[in-house]
Amino acid sequence: MNDNYLWDRSGEPDLDVQKLEEILGTLRYQPRPLEIPNDVRLRAGRPFFTKLAIAAAIGLVAIASGLWVNFNRHRTVPAVATTRDSQIDQKRNAPAPQIAPNDNASQLAVVKGTTPTNIQKRHREPARTLVAQNKSRDTAIRQSTLTPQELAEKEQVLLALRLVSAKLNLAQRKSQGLPQPNIIRNQHKIG
Amino acid sequence: MLEAEATANMLLMTQPFSAPKIEEQPVEVMLVKAVLDGERDRFARLYEMYAPLVHGILLARVPRDEVDDLVQDIFLHALKKLHTLRDPRAFAPWIAMIARNRAMDFYRSSRETVEVTEQMAIARSPNRTAKEILDLIRQLPDAYRETLVLRFVEGMTGPEIAARTGLTPASVRVNLHRGMKLLRERMGALQNRER
Repeated sequence: MNDNYLWDRSGEPDLDVQKLEEILGTLRYQPRPLEIPNDVRLRAGRPFFTKLAIAAAIGLVAIASGLWVNFNRHRTVPAVATTRDSQIDQKRNAPAPQIAPNDNASQLAVVKGTTPTNIQKRHREPARTLVAQNKSRDTAIRQSTLTPQELAEKEQVLLALRLVSAKLNLAQRKSQGLPQPNIIRNQHKIG
Repeated sequence: MLEAEATANMLLMTQPFSAPKIEEQPVEVMLVKAVLDGERDRFARLYEMYAPLVHGILLARVPRDEVDDLVQDIFLHALKKLHTLRDPRAFAPWIAMIARNRAMDFYRSSRETVEVTEQMAIARSPNRTAKEILDLIRQLPDAYRETLVLRFVEGMTGPEIAARTGLTPASVRVNLHRGMKLLRERMGALQNRER
């Protein structure tokens, strides 16, 4: 049986199909205007909080990478300082040599009996030997080497990190439809 | 010289002409985006385009008296939930699915009332033949009855049904063919019974 007419009304018309079209066509949809109540609200295509979460995540990554670079830069400076300090510790009881006040090269020659080749060798790998010998001392020295300005900067970065983390957490909770944490409950911690 | 020109002409003739492809967005994609951007009035156009589809899907399942109100309800629901539609091109299959689910909910909640109302409607209606045939179609399996209603009642062709319901053209063709075969058998049986 050729059912082309049934498929797309092409070819030879099928009498049964035509009859059915005629009879059932009376039940066809009669256009009626759509009545939209005023209280129906439309939501944006992409949830706002998803965008916020993405932006917060990008910001967090940028801050973290900035911190990492900052700490890496600081790591080399205290290493030299600790080398010098350890050398001073070893020779604490030795009589202090006379040092010219504006002579930079003399600072490296504090320890008696060190040759220039020895100094160069120690400057090549200072951090590795220190970390292997005394880790706790290394961290203590590193903290003490931060200037007040650097400490303030560090505090600011940590505060910014905390803020971003809190905002990200809030955005995630909103996007998941979870209830928001009670901010009033924790106010005693702030104030 | 002439020979070279002739060769060039031949080459031009053998190579199929390819116009620069400009990807045009389907109308429903533009309409859905416009509605999501706040142009609420554009939803009326979507309603005009897809109300027959929803009407047909509902008519294959629920009593005719209820269909018109349900069509409105479904479109209002779709308007509220439009932001959940990920791909605007899939608007037609999406709203078709909402209509099928709503029809199932309708039967779950008020089956007994529906049957009484339907019988009364048939008894009152002057166009009894159409309702009897529709009743026969409703007794067919799901896949056939929806396709047949869209074809005979809403006047869609097979390719149109495939495009709007998201089914493959092959499936629609099979459903139409087998559904029509079953309907012929049942109509023949009904005529014999009346004689």
